[in-house]
Order: sequence, then structure tokens, then C-alpha cells
Amino acid sequence: MNNSRMFMAMILGAIFRRRSRALMAVIATMVGAATLFCLAAVCIAVPQQMNEDMRPYGANLVVAAIEKQGAEKTGISDAMVAHTTSMVRAKSSAKFATYRYETVRINAAPYMLAGIESTQVRALNHHWSVQGSWPSHGAVMVGSDVASALGLNVGGNVTIAYQSSDNGGSTTSKTTQDGRVSTDILNGGGSTYRVAGIVNTGGSEDEIVYATNADVNALSGVKRGADVIEYSSSAMGTDLTAIATSINDMTSMGVKAQTVTKISSSDTKIITMLQTLFWLISVVVLALTFVGVGTTMTSIVSQRRNEIGLRKALGAPNSSIRTEFYTESVIYGLVGGGLGATIGFWLARLLCSLVFGRNIAMNWWLVGVAVVLSGIIAILATIRPVVKASRIDPAVVLSEE
Amino acid sequence: MLLELDHVSKIYGDLHAVDDLSLSVQEGEWLAIVGSSGSGKTTLMNIIGCMDTPSEGTVTLEGRELNDLNASQLADVRKNIIGLVFQKFYLVPHLTAVENVMVAQYYHSVVNEKQAMEALSNVGLAERAHHLPSQLSGGEQQRVCIARALINCPKLILADEPTGNLDEANEKIVLDLFKKLHAQGTTIVVVTHDSLVASCAQREIMLNHGVLVGERWNDEAAQQRYVDAGGEPAKTRHAENSKQSAEESSMPVGFDTITKSAKAH
Ligand SMILES: Nc1ncnc2c1ncn2[C@@H]1O[C@H](COP(=O)(O)OP(=O)(O)O)[C@@H](O)[C@H]1O
Ligand SMILES: [Mg+2]
Repeated sequence: MNNSRMFMAMILGAIFRRRSRALMAVIATMVGAATLFCLAAVCIAVPQQMNEDMRPYGANLVVAAIEKQGAEKTGISDAMVAHTTSMVRAKSSAKFATYRYETVRINAAPYMLAGIESTQVRALNHHWSVQGSWPSHGAVMVGSDVASALGLNVGGNVTIAYQSSDNGGSTTSKTTQDGRVSTDILNGGGSTYRVAGIVNTGGSEDEIVYATNADVNALSGVKRGADVIEYSSSAMGTDLTAIATSINDMTSMGVKAQTVTKISSSDTKIITMLQTLFWLISVVVLALTFVGVGTTMTSIVSQRRNEIGLRKALGAPNSSIRTEFYTESVIYGLVGGGLGATIGFWLARLLCSLVFGRNIAMNWWLVGVAVVLSGIIAILATIRPVVKASRIDPAVVLSEE
Repeated sequence: MLLELDHVSKIYGDLHAVDDLSLSVQEGEWLAIVGSSGSGKTTLMNIIGCMDTPSEGTVTLEGRELNDLNASQLADVRKNIIGLVFQKFYLVPHLTAVENVMVAQYYHSVVNEKQAMEALSNVGLAERAHHLPSQLSGGEQQRVCIARALINCPKLILADEPTGNLDEANEKIVLDLFKKLHAQGTTIVVVTHDSLVASCAQREIMLNHGVLVGERWNDEAAQQRYVDAGGEPAKTRHAENSKQSAEESSMPVGFDTITKSAKAH
């Protein structure tokens, strides 16, 4: 047994042989830490959850080709799509879909035709309500506005004509596709497609006709890159802006990136309110924990008045008494903080699974903060009791009879 | 002289708890302080034990004047020179007997469990060493206190009513321990109500309302050594008046009367 072992024996004796007070101090810290941990975990989880919930509702980052004036429209090449995608995915996971837009004629009236990969667009836009099925070879999906204007039904046919003059191109330079130039087709002519489905989003998508890229290539007679790439990235806020900026900084790429806000201003207000509430409650809980621990430590000191006097009578300097009480209190703080963080985590997990139906992951960083904060609160709350303890006169041992 | 009090007073408001007392104690001496309750014995012990400072007068311990020392220096003197034994067998309630002895080692210098166990077996408590105070009888607790008081080999043992809460059998054990210590050359100052305990000492002084009312030697050889070393009789300002009567008979008037009345308390 050396002096530091003796020190620990004294501290542990005080803790384990006087369990009721120790328990009170630990519980005071634990309740505070649990409440704060749970609040903080929920405050972190809610905006994440909102973002997660928004992700199926389309893109939050749109990359468009920068078209040079007068030049041939070439779109974004497959290689550039891959390059842009790798830049976006370098920061956080992302889904994407490409769109090639052409103006076409249906019954001589101009409509927008979009060349897509059905699986990509479908994965990105879970909220699109599609009656029938998505575009496939020889079959198109028409927007609900188009369908009602043209009187189209699922299973019916639609004839679509492509004129390169509509799309700012000259007829002569076009290469042939499938042995024919589609501009040969006159008004009223064109290719006939089956209507596979009708899409209704309530947005501009309702005015567009969707076909597979292969069909659009065949119809236009020109194979070219996409006009727009839409990304649904799991990054949010400044991280997302940073991705857009990094793409825009690479001017040689010939594309322009723009973020799309999905969380509405009222959602932002809710989050701001939640966070303000969090800070308010945090301050109150911290104050209560401080008072709880302080009161417990004060009662421990006054209960151990005689013992402190005795230690001093045996020659203990004030610094020794101080160190003993701070150590004891820090142990209460750390144990209470650890237990509190664990309880807080399970509470937050329970809440999130009940409300959002998903489990939150253990946030070790937050656990560290909770434990350290509890230790600091314990020390601060013990300052007054320790001052009281060091004022105790060794003479109390002899004079109290 | 190991301990010298020079015109020491402790005044609480109007109350003179100790009133102008001058007293010297030689090294190796066994002194008993007797007096009824409230006569200032504990106050005097606190002053001698460096746990309180006198309102007036000076205390000199081992040639060092205590008035000049601050709280932490007083704590040093306490742990280096003095062993304390209390009436209420003060032990740290959440530490075992041997740990309580080691606490004194801890604040003094270095913890040594073997030594602490030896000290406990000297007071006959070897097999109770790992019990908590609540699991020990009063006599056993007081013996732990004595073991603790002795662990750092103090020059001076101060005991405030060490047998006040003990039955006769335990009182005898404690007295035998004190006799053994005294034989080994330790200086002992003991406060007591008990005439039996007081009679074991070489010298008795009696206080009443903070005033010295009597001094008696039980051991002539010790008295001779004291006088040879230049020791003067204890005195108080108020005792001057009664000096004549004290000189008439060899023993101050009323000594036994007061001892008896104190015992009846
Ligand atoms: N801290 C104090 N404040 C005021 N009066 C005190 C204090 N300590 C002791 N006294 C008074 O001093 C007197 C002597 O007390 P004390 O030394 O405890 O006597 P004893 O130990 O002989 O019974 C008593 O009247 C007591 O009330
Ligand atoms: Mg007393």
C-alpha cells in the first residue's frame, strides 16, 4: 500500500461505504446528462431525418451543360457525367439521373421530349405518381397535362415528329441513324409510340413526354449527351453548396451546378425553433444539475464535518481535503455522465424509432461531450462545498461533545 | 521544557474559558488536567494541540512559539509532534480500523500497512483490523484511536477524556496502554473527570471556570526532576490570592471536593 493507493482507498471508501449520498450525486448528474444527451441527439437527428425524408422528392443539385452560342448542341458527354458524378460522390453518397431535352411535334404542336434512363429517374423521384409504366423501347410516358391535351390514354398510341429546325440545328450536317434522317419526316409524319404510362407530379413534369434515350437518339437521328444531370446528394447546407462551388470552379468542365432547396422556409423555422428550445432547455437543465450536485456535495460536506475536522487534526492540509472532495465529485460526475449518456441515447433512440420509424446511431462524439461536461459541472458545483470544508476548524473534533 | 504556556487566556466575549494560565510540561512527564464540565479543559487541549490559538499569552512547543505560525504550519506541528486521542473515539466511519491508522501515516509521511498492523496488534486489535468502526465496540474504537495517535511516534500525546465513554474493563486496558507509553518516555497530557485516571499521572492540575485552582504531584521523583530542570509551579493571576492558604497545607484547599463533584457529573 503506497500513498496513492491509500488516496484511492479513502475515496472509494467514501463512495462505496456511504452509498446513499454517492447515489444521490450520481443520479443528479445522470438525470441532467440523460436529458441533455437525449435533447441533443434528437436535435441532430431531426434535420437529418427531414433531409432524408426530402431525398425521394427529387434532386437537390442540378448540373446543366453550358451551351456555346451558335455552336452545335452536344450536351454533357458520358465521360463528363461520370466525372461530375465522381466529384459529387467524393463528398457524400448521391443518386443521379440524366435528361436530354428535345422539342418535338405532336399533331403539329410543339412539346418537350425528354430522353431518360427509366431506372435512374425512377430511383430519384419516388414521389412521381405514374399510372401505367415507365418508358421502355418503343413506349413513352407522357405528362398528365400532355395526356389530357391530346386525349391520350395508357395503352394508346402517339405519333411524335422531330424537326431539327425546332432545335436550332441545320439539317445538312446530321448524321444518319438507323439508315434514315428523321428530318425527312414531314409534318404529320413521325414515329408512333405506345403510351406506356401517364405521369402526374403537379409540377412542370406534367408537360413533358418521356422516352428512353435510345428512342430519342433514333427519333432525332443524333446521338448526343444529356442537357441536365440531377443529383440527390445526402449532403446538406454548406456541404452541398461546397460541392456546387467546386464544380463551378472547374470552368473547363463546361457545366454549371446549382443547388435546389428542398426544405421549405417553414421547415427551416421549425428547425430553428427546435434548436432555440434546445439551448433554452439545456441552460435550465445545466443549472438544475449544477444545483442538484452542489446541494448533494454540500450535504456530504456537512455530514462529514467531524471527519474533515478529524483529518485536519491529524495534520491534513486544506489542499489535501480539497483534492479529496474534487476527486470524489469528479468520479460522481463522470459515472453520472456516462450513465446519463447511455440512458439519454436509449431514450433518443426510442423517440426516433417511435416518431420517424428509424434507429439513430450511437454518437460517440456526443457521449464524450456529455461525460466531460458532467465532470466539469461536478467540479464547478463542488467549489462552494469545498470552500466550506476548508473553513472547518480542526477544533470541532474536541469541542463537540 | 517540551511545552510552555505563558499567561495564556482564551476569551469568548465576556467568558474567560481559560484565564491567564502559566504552565510548563517537561519531556517524559505525565500530566492530568482535571476540573468540572465547562472549566476550560477542552479549550486548553485545543490550544496545546495547535488546533486553536490563545487570545492572549504565548504557547511554546519544543522551543517553537506557536503564535507566529500560520494554519498550514500549525497542521505540520500537529502531525509531527502531537498524537490526539478523543473522548468520542473519532474515527473515519467509512474506513476500516487499519485504514484509519494509515490515514495518520498518509497525512504525516508515507503509508506503511505493516507498521499500521503492528500498531493495532500492540493495542490488541490485530484480528479486528479490517472492521469498520461501526463494527467495533467503544473500547475497541478507542484503542484504534490510540494506535492511530501513536503511529507517527509523537513526542506528546494529548488525550481528552480518553476513558470518558468506556466501562471499567476497557478503562483499565487504555490506562495500561498509557502506562506502557509513559514508560517508553512519551509525554502525556490527559484531561479527565476520573480521579482514578488522574491518580495514574505524575502531576495533576485542576481548573475551575478557566482558573487554576490546584496543583498536586503524585510522584516525588518526577517533581524533583521538574524542579531541577527549572520548572516552576503552574500559576494564574487569580490563584495568587489563594497562594497563602495553599502554602499552609501542602495540598490546595478544595482539590478533592471539586474532583468528587466533577465525578458526580
Ligand atoms: N467556540 C466557543 N465559543 C464560545 N464559547 C465557548 C467555545 N468553546 C468553549 N466555550 C465555552 O468555554 C467554556 C469552557 O469550555 P470547555 O473548554 O469545553 O470545557 P470542558 O472541556 O472543561 O468541559 C464553556 O463555558 C464553553 O461554553
Ligand atoms: Mg471537554
